[in-house]
Amino acid sequence: MRKFFNVFSRHNTWLLFALYCAISIFFIKLQNDDTITRVRTGGIEFSAFITDKLLSYSYLLNLKQENDRLMQVNTDLLARVINLDAAVTDERNSRKITADSTLNASSFIMARVVSRRFSDRENMLLIDAGWKKGIRKDMTVLTPQGLVGRVTTVSENYARVMPVIHTDFKVCVVSDKSGSIGVLSWSGGREFVAQMEHVPISSSLKVNEEIVTSDFSTFSARGIPVGRVVRITPDKLFYTVDVRLAVDFSSLNQVLVAPLIIEPEKAVMTSNNTTEEPLP
Amino acid sequence: MLLCIVSLLQVFGLSHLTIFDVSPDAISLFLAFIAVTIGQRAGTSFGFAAGVIAGLMSGNMGLSMLARTVEGFIAGFFNIPENSHATSKQKTKRMYSALLTASFLANAVFAAGYNPLGLSPLYRILVLGLLESLLTLILAFIAKRLLMRKTFSD
Repeated sequence: MRKFFNVFSRHNTWLLFALYCAISIFFIKLQNDDTITRVRTGGIEFSAFITDKLLSYSYLLNLKQENDRLMQVNTDLLARVINLDAAVTDERNSRKITADSTLNASSFIMARVVSRRFSDRENMLLIDAGWKKGIRKDMTVLTPQGLVGRVTTVSENYARVMPVIHTDFKVCVVSDKSGSIGVLSWSGGREFVAQMEHVPISSSLKVNEEIVTSDFSTFSARGIPVGRVVRITPDKLFYTVDVRLAVDFSSLNQVLVAPLIIEPEKAVMTSNNTTEEPLP
Repeated sequence: MLLCIVSLLQVFGLSHLTIFDVSPDAISLFLAFIAVTIGQRAGTSFGFAAGVIAGLMSGNMGLSMLARTVEGFIAGFFNIPENSHATSKQKTKRMYSALLTASFLANAVFAAGYNPLGLSPLYRILVLGLLESLLTLILAFIAKRLLMRKTFSD
């Protein structure tokens, strides 16, 4: 007996090692056993839970990149929708149209609104894109919701934008259902309502019709949402139409700048300084 | 408690720092440290416990337990007795030797039992095993500088 205890105490480390190895081999053999499987599944569940939590924290750190990526996707989708809407409207009115080749998704420029002034002294937006990024004067500024304004001044890295809610801003618009054409302007007051002028009494314009930019505009691409008719007040020869603007100017953050579509010939023809040329 | 922290660090942290499909092993470092400073029995027991914890997380319980037990046991052969007059350099040398040997053998046990990438066993044991031991050695070097200065001083 004494000998046994002596052997045991001398080689207890080896015996312990053998015991642990036996238990490990036992677990390897019973890998597919229900109890072991359940314990293993529980362990994997815990491990996956921790990994998932760690991944969600790292996701928070990449939110800005994700936001930028989604904005880019939004840009592409918006361009496609505007193109499709213009084609559907023309088809419905039975007019011969050509595809708006100027609305090229890849040529939209994304920018962030870095400053906004809305006071009696100044009324403008400042975006963080300038001629370095391809911004030019008179480019249309918009968001997925609708028209924002027009570029008035460009520097190397920034551009000033005259918003729709500026007394000097005017754009040719058309209603999507009745096809009534008018000129949108803002005469002050509430910043979410503008007026559509020169709509004749004979027009079949109705409340709730959507107003979009028209082909008559000298700077803006057609089909960009502007707003919705909320009130029509008849006057002697024309209607006074109130349009609720689609864009919320108080919460502008990111905008898109559409490529320039000024057609010089069109601008010349619509101006008063034309001289008639004899027909060939 | 420290073993749990080291195991969690290994599973959720260091296992993502892979070079040629291997990563440094903090558990090997911990086991080598325990075995060298405390003793072979402690190293073996800690190895078994580390195998249980790591095995629960990875799903390969039995193999993990076996490999870590072997690792703790082998590292125990490099134990420095308490009343030893070894210099700091000798202690460090023993620690590194324990780590290299134990880590390599544990990797061999893992390779023998589980081959998820379908690699050649010889390649796994020799090349990847050596590479992993080397990475763990670098980790040991950093850990010694930061955390184990007092333990391995004269």
